[in-house]
Amino acid sequence: MNGRPENRVEKIVADLLRGRRLKLRGGDAEEKAAITAAARLAGARQGPQRMQPAFRKRLAQSLEHAPSEGWITRRSALVAGIGLAAGAAGGVLLGRTAGPEPVKASETIEPVDGRWIDVGAANDLVEGQGKRVVAGGIGAYLFRRGDQVTAVSSICSHLPCELWWDGAGGHLACPCHPAKFMSDGRPTDPYALPTLNKVHVRVTPSGRVEVLGTA
Amino acid sequence: MTPDERASEPADVVELPAASRATDIALDELEIVYAFIYARVGNRADAEDLTQQVAMKAIPRLRQGAPASAIRGYLFATARSVLGGFWSTRLGLSEAELHEDLALALPTSPPSEESADTVQQILAQLSDNYRHVLELRFLHGYSLKEVAAEMNSTVGAIKVMQLRALRAAAKVRPLE
Repeated sequence: MNGRPENRVEKIVADLLRGRRLKLRGGDAEEKAAITAAARLAGARQGPQRMQPAFRKRLAQSLEHAPSEGWITRRSALVAGIGLAAGAAGGVLLGRTAGPEPVKASETIEPVDGRWIDVGAANDLVEGQGKRVVAGGIGAYLFRRGDQVTAVSSICSHLPCELWWDGAGGHLACPCHPAKFMSDGRPTDPYALPTLNKVHVRVTPSGRVEVLGTA
Repeated sequence: MTPDERASEPADVVELPAASRATDIALDELEIVYAFIYARVGNRADAEDLTQQVAMKAIPRLRQGAPASAIRGYLFATARSVLGGFWSTRLGLSEAELHEDLALALPTSPPSEESADTVQQILAQLSDNYRHVLELRFLHGYSLKEVAAEMNSTVGAIKVMQLRALRAAAKVRPLE
């Protein structure tokens, strides 16, 4: 029932009319014309839109103070882990917080009082496929190539949202905006985003994968 | 660092100075970009994300304090690229697969007039039933049930009609 095109498009229309962001899923591409038309009509229904004052202010702050690479202080998201990412999924910028320098994406996450946490058997990892694991407060995607296992953070290097593994495309994708990352954490798209943070990972002699996470 | 500078270091929230003239110009241009993007994605959260991406990519140019006319073309080229990336990612298509009906052309009129005019042009070219269902749903905010009651039909039939009306609307080329 829900797979019928009129139902899928109606769900998208209903979301748009409630002011929600576009959430598309497999098969929606077949209705791309109807979906983009719905987005345009939804965009026009309340007349021309101006930025909300809070968003305009954040943009102003970012323009005045942005470092050369990105504006987002992701430290909070990385430290707090997955829960914050869900809270920030509204697509807003995090405020620029005071305190220690933000963790730069591409650095390896070094949790204070970190501990090695067993996240599964290396043999269970399918070569070329990302597997999401949680090690306390740290979410990571594991990748195996031969005997080597690598791990990157499961949080986008731009917006603090949980990435998902797009097996068909062979990349990690951000649900909050158009950003994709390869298994080594480098972005695939042209937005010049920072690479993903790396996560410490090791394979024990008995073939278990351990991630340096938190208690 | 002078004592004054040290004393003014932030506690919890960074207090920022008033925006500079260059930032004001950039923000005014980004308002136009925001309206342009909003008119195509139809929701605030995605429009903010995409506007933010445009601004981020354009920061070096914006910071040069160039006049508005000099950065507008760059911003809209960037906005088109960002919108293309947005749709291709959300729909799981390559950008080449995206039909040009995504209407990423530069607006020739201010966004304040662009959206409303374009929508009226599109609706005007639809059949009466298609125009009516889209007007009730999108412009008057009717629920499916209310549309069905208004048009003496069923919810199921209205859903199908809405889909067909949207497909038809996508084929209409607004007058530029």
